[in-house]
Amino acid sequence: MAIAREAEPVGSLSEVREAGLDREDLLGIYRNMLITRGIEERGHILYKQGKIPGSFYTGRGNEASSVGVATAMSADDVGTPLHRDMGVHVTRGVEPWRIFAQYMGRADGPTKGKDGNVHMADSNLGLLAMVSHLPAMLPVAVGCALAFRIREERRVAVGWFGEGASARGDAHEAMNLAGVRRLPVVFICDNNQWAYSTPTHLEYACETLADRAQAYGFEGVVVDGTDVLAVYREVKRAIEKAREGGGPTLIESMTLRMEGHAVHDDAFYVPKELFEEWARRDPIERYRSWLRDNADLSDSEEDEIAAGVKRLLADAIQRADESSLPDPSTLADGVYATSEELDTPHHK
Amino acid sequence: MATDTAIEVVMPQMGVSVSEGTITKWLKQEGEEVAADEPLLEISTDKVDTEVPSPGTGTVQQILVQEGETVDVGTKLAVIGSGAAAPAAEEAPPDPATQPAADASAAAAEAETDMPTPQAPPAEPPTPAAPAPSADGGREANGDGPSFVSPVVARIASEHGVDPGHVPGTGRGGRVTKKDILSFIESGAPARTPAPEAPTEAPAPAQPAPAAPAPAPAAQAPPTPTPAPAPAPVEAGAGEQVEAMNAMRRGIAEHMRRSLDTAAHVTSAIEVDLSRVVAIREKLKPEFQKSYGVNPTYLIFVARAVAETLRDYPWINGEIRDDRIVTRNYVNLGFAVELAEGKGLIVPVVKSAESLNLLGMARAVTDIAERARNKQLTPDEVQGGTFTITNPGGYGTFHGTPIISQPQSAILGTYALVKRPWVVQDEHGKDVIAIRPIMNITLTYDHRLVDGALAGRFLQSLRQKLESWGETEY
Amino acid sequence: MAEKTYLQAISDGLRQEMRRDKRVFVIGEDVGVYGGAFKVTLGFQEEFGPWRVIDSPLSETAIVGGCTGAAIMGMRPVAEMQFADFISCAWDQLVTVSAKQRYRAGTPVPIVVRLPSGGGFSGGPFHSQNPESSFAHIPGLKCVCPATPEDAKGLLVSAIEDPNPVLYFEHKHLYRRIKAEVPDERYTTPIGKARIHRGGDDVSVITWGAMVYTADEAAQQLENDGVSVEIVDLRTVLPWDKAAVLESARKTSKVLVLHEDTHTGGFGAEIAATIAEEAFEDLDAPIKRVTAPDTPVPFSPPLEKAFIPQVDDVVAGLRDLAEY
Repeated sequence: MAIAREAEPVGSLSEVREAGLDREDLLGIYRNMLITRGIEERGHILYKQGKIPGSFYTGRGNEASSVGVATAMSADDVGTPLHRDMGVHVTRGVEPWRIFAQYMGRADGPTKGKDGNVHMADSNLGLLAMVSHLPAMLPVAVGCALAFRIREERRVAVGWFGEGASARGDAHEAMNLAGVRRLPVVFICDNNQWAYSTPTHLEYACETLADRAQAYGFEGVVVDGTDVLAVYREVKRAIEKAREGGGPTLIESMTLRMEGHAVHDDAFYVPKELFEEWARRDPIERYRSWLRDNADLSDSEEDEIAAGVKRLLADAIQRADESSLPDPSTLADGVYATSEELDTPHHK
Repeated sequence: MATDTAIEVVMPQMGVSVSEGTITKWLKQEGEEVAADEPLLEISTDKVDTEVPSPGTGTVQQILVQEGETVDVGTKLAVIGSGAAAPAAEEAPPDPATQPAADASAAAAEAETDMPTPQAPPAEPPTPAAPAPSADGGREANGDGPSFVSPVVARIASEHGVDPGHVPGTGRGGRVTKKDILSFIESGAPARTPAPEAPTEAPAPAQPAPAAPAPAPAAQAPPTPTPAPAPAPVEAGAGEQVEAMNAMRRGIAEHMRRSLDTAAHVTSAIEVDLSRVVAIREKLKPEFQKSYGVNPTYLIFVARAVAETLRDYPWINGEIRDDRIVTRNYVNLGFAVELAEGKGLIVPVVKSAESLNLLGMARAVTDIAERARNKQLTPDEVQGGTFTITNPGGYGTFHGTPIISQPQSAILGTYALVKRPWVVQDEHGKDVIAIRPIMNITLTYDHRLVDGALAGRFLQSLRQKLESWGETEY
Repeated sequence: MAEKTYLQAISDGLRQEMRRDKRVFVIGEDVGVYGGAFKVTLGFQEEFGPWRVIDSPLSETAIVGGCTGAAIMGMRPVAEMQFADFISCAWDQLVTVSAKQRYRAGTPVPIVVRLPSGGGFSGGPFHSQNPESSFAHIPGLKCVCPATPEDAKGLLVSAIEDPNPVLYFEHKHLYRRIKAEVPDERYTTPIGKARIHRGGDDVSVITWGAMVYTADEAAQQLENDGVSVEIVDLRTVLPWDKAAVLESARKTSKVLVLHEDTHTGGFGAEIAATIAEEAFEDLDAPIKRVTAPDTPVPFSPPLEKAFIPQVDDVVAGLRDLAEY
C-alpha cells in the first residue's frame, strides 16, 4: 500500500500564477522543452551519421520532468542532473552549440573532450557533471547541501537518480545522511520504468519509490512526469521547504523512456502498447495543448517559437561542427588542480 | 569529412563495443538525389538494426560497399557529390622536394626496428698481453676466471678504459664491486694487490693505456650494453625548446649520413634552354587537362627526357653491389615528394618509366604524388628505385647538391625556370641577346662508379633532348 | 617547539587549521562526541560545535561523497575513515568521482581523507592494511604517508591546502610510540618531496611510514659492521620523489625497497621498476624488496610477526646487498 502522496495535475492558469509563473515564463518553458527535444533528435541523427563517437543517450519523454525541475530552481541552487535530464542544462542556460560540441568530443565542449555524451556540466551554472556509476552523484549533492547547512546559506541542492540506480547503496546512504541531518536537498527520482531492459518490478519491491522517503524521515511525492507544471509546482514546494530548513523531499517523477537505453538499443523488450499509451501523453504535445487552452497560445506564436528553435539548433550544429577537436598534446592537462583554480565563486 | 564537392558516408558506430556493420539495403542508388538527413541506407549490427541518414544533400556518386557486405566502423560506404561525376583533377604541383632524396619510409622502418647503429667497436679485451703486469696480476682475486660485471662496474670501466678483469674483486665469488673498481682507479695501481716488485709499475700513466686502446670498452662481459644506454635526456637551456625526433626524421637522418659516407658525391650542372618545351607545353596543357585531367609540368618533360637518356647511360642508372656493377634494362624513377607542413619527405617510385610517354608519365607522377601526400602509398611503391629526380626549384632556388638515395648511383635536381638574357644566333649567325626560359639542372653522381666525363655527356645528351623537343614527341 | 607524539602532532595540526579557516570541517564516524576512535579529535566538538565536527552515519560513501560535494561548494572537508581498511567502502566516490572531477569536468575537489593504517597489534585482516598502492595507481589523487611527528603535522596542513583529493595515511602504530620535537607554529611540509632520514654511502633503503623506524634499527646494526646505510623516507607515495630516490640509488648503487604493504603490486614494485629503467648503469646489485608476503594480514601474534617486515628481515636484506 502506497504511503507517498500523489500530486494533483495542474489545472488552470490562475493556479499556475499562484505558483509564481507568468505567461512569459510559461512560453519560456515551452521553448526549453522544444530545444531539449530538438537537441536530442538532431544528436541522434548526427550519431547515425558517424559524427558523434562513443554512445548516445536521450531523454525522450522526460522533457517535462527535467525542464520542470530546473525551472523551479533558483539561480543559487545547484544540481547533479543525469543523462535523461538534458532539459536541466538547457533551462539553466547551457548554449546548445556547446552541447553539440560535447557530443562530438570537441575542444569547446564543457569537458574539452575529456568526457563524453551528457557527462558534462557548467559549474558556473550550478551544475555538477555526472559519472557513469549511478547514483554516485547523489552523495555529492548531499555534500553540497551539507556545505549550505554548515554555512547557513539559503541555498538548495537537487540530486537526481533513476529507479534503477535506486537499488544501489549510494542512494540509501545519501538519503539517510540527508534525512538524519535535515539537509537542504531535494531528491528527484526519474522513474521512466525501464533500466536498460530491466522493468521496475525487477528493480524494487515497494509500490512506489517515493514510499522509501518515510524510511529516511522525510516526505515522498509521486508526480506525473509528463505534466510540466505539476512537476514545477511540486518541486518548487519542496525546494522552498528545504530552503526554509524543512529538510529533504523525495519526488518521484513518472514517465516512460520513449527510446532505447541508448541509440544502439531498439527497446524490443518494451511492450508496444506501452509506447503507444505514453506517446499519447507526450509531454510537449500535452503542454502545447494546455497552452492553447489556458494561455491563448496562438498559431503565430507557436510558429515563431518553433522557427526560432530550429534556427538556433541549425546554427549550433554548424558552429560545433566547425570547432576543433582537442589536441593530443592536451591529454595530460588538468589531472591535478592548482591552487589558483580554487578562486571560483563556489570555492570562496 | 566533406570536401568542396564530395561528402563521404561512413559506417557509424552503433554502440561502444560495436566494431562493424552490415549493409542490408541501399535506399538510394548511384545517380539518385538525396537530401541531408534523409534515410540513405539500412544497416544491421550486433546491437541494433537502423537507418543511416544522409550526411548531406546531393547526388549519390558512388556506392563503395554493396548490400550484404560487412565492414568495419568508419569504412567509407559511399560518396555524395553536388555535381560532376568524376572528381576534377587537381593541379599536380611539381613536387617541391627538399634536397635529400632519401628513401624516408624504408629508412623510417629501419630506424624503428634497430637501435641507433653506432656500435662501439666490439669490445675486444685488448689482448691480455698488453698490460705487462704479470698475467695473474689482476686475476689473483678472481676465483674462477671471468665473473659477472654489474652495470655500474661496466660503465665505470668503460669510462676509464679499465679492464675489470684486472681489478681485484671483493664481492661475492670474487666479483668486482663498484668500490673495488673505484679504488683501483683511484690508486692508479693496476694489477695485483700486494705483489711487490711490479717491474712494470713505473709508468703509472701507462695503466689506462695498455688496458684499453682508446675507446674499446674492453669489457669482457659478453653482454655489450654500450650503445643502448640512452644518454641523459637533453635538457632545454634558457630560451631553448627540446623535442623528440619522430621515426621518419630519424630515418632520414640515418639515410643521409649513410649515403654521404657511402658514395663519393660529385655534382655537375648544366643550363638548359627550355623555350621549345615551354611552347609545346602551352599547347598541350589545355588538352591534357580537358581530356585526361593531368597537368604536364616541366618536371614531367624532364622526367620523360631523363628516362630516355638513361637508356644510353646504364651506369648512371646502375648500382655498386659489393664490388660489382649492376645495370638494368629498366628505369624505376623515384620522385622526391615533400610531405605536408615540412614533416618529412618520401620518394615514391614510378616503375618502368622508360616505357611511358609524356601522358603516361604525367599520369603516373600525378597519381603517386597525390597518394604520397595522402599517405596512401604501398610499401612496394617506395622501393626499387634506380634513379631519382628531385625538384627543389619549386622554391625558386637555382642550384643545389642533393644527396643520392642509396643504393642508387645518381640523382637529378631540377631548379627554377628563370627568364634570362641569353646569347643566341640570329638568322645571320650573329650573336644576339634573346630572352629565354633557362633551367639549371644538376646531376649528383657517385664518383666511385660515374666519372665526370660520363656525367657531363649524360647532361649534354639530356639537354639536347630538351632543347630539341619535337612537337610530335609525346 | 614542544615534544609531541605523532598523534598529538596530527591533532594539533588539524585544530590549528580549523581555527584558522572556517571552511575546514571534520566528518567521520564517532569523531564528535567520542573524539574519534583514536582520539585524534578529542575536544574538537566542544570547541568547534556539531556542524564542524560531524558525527556521520555509518556510511563511508556518504562521508566521502558528502565531502566531495561540500568541497566543490567551497568547503575544505577533512574526512576520517575509522580505519584505512574501510576506504574500500568509499572507493567509488574516491576513484570515480573525486579523482576524475578536475580532469574531466574542470572542477577541483579539495578534500582530505585521513586513514589510520598499518598493523602490528593484532588488528586482524580488516584493521591493519596499508592500501596506499591501490590509490597510487589513480591519476588525480595524492597519497601522503608521514613517518615523523613533524612531518605528520606539516603534511596534514599541506594536504588541507592542496586543491586535490589527498589521502593521508597515518600509521596507527606510530600514534603514541613516536615522540619528537614539533614546531608550535603553522608550517607546511611539501607534498612530493622525500627526506633523507639517515645519510649513508653503501646501501640505500627507500621506505615510508612506520617502516622508517624498522629500517633505522636495522641500519644501526649494520653500522656496527662498518656498512653505511642511507634511508630515504619518501613521505609522499603519489607523486613520489623520483629524483631523490634516483640520486640515492646512483650514490650507493645498492637499493633495498621496504614497505609494510604486501609484495605483488605493492608500491615498491613501481620504485624498483623505475630505478631499473633509469639507473640501470648505476647498479652494483639487483634491486631488493623487503615487504609483507601476499596474504591478508593475520591476527595471531606469531603469524602477524611473520607477516610484517621485522628489523631482522631488513638486516638480512641489507647484509645480502652489502656483500653482493
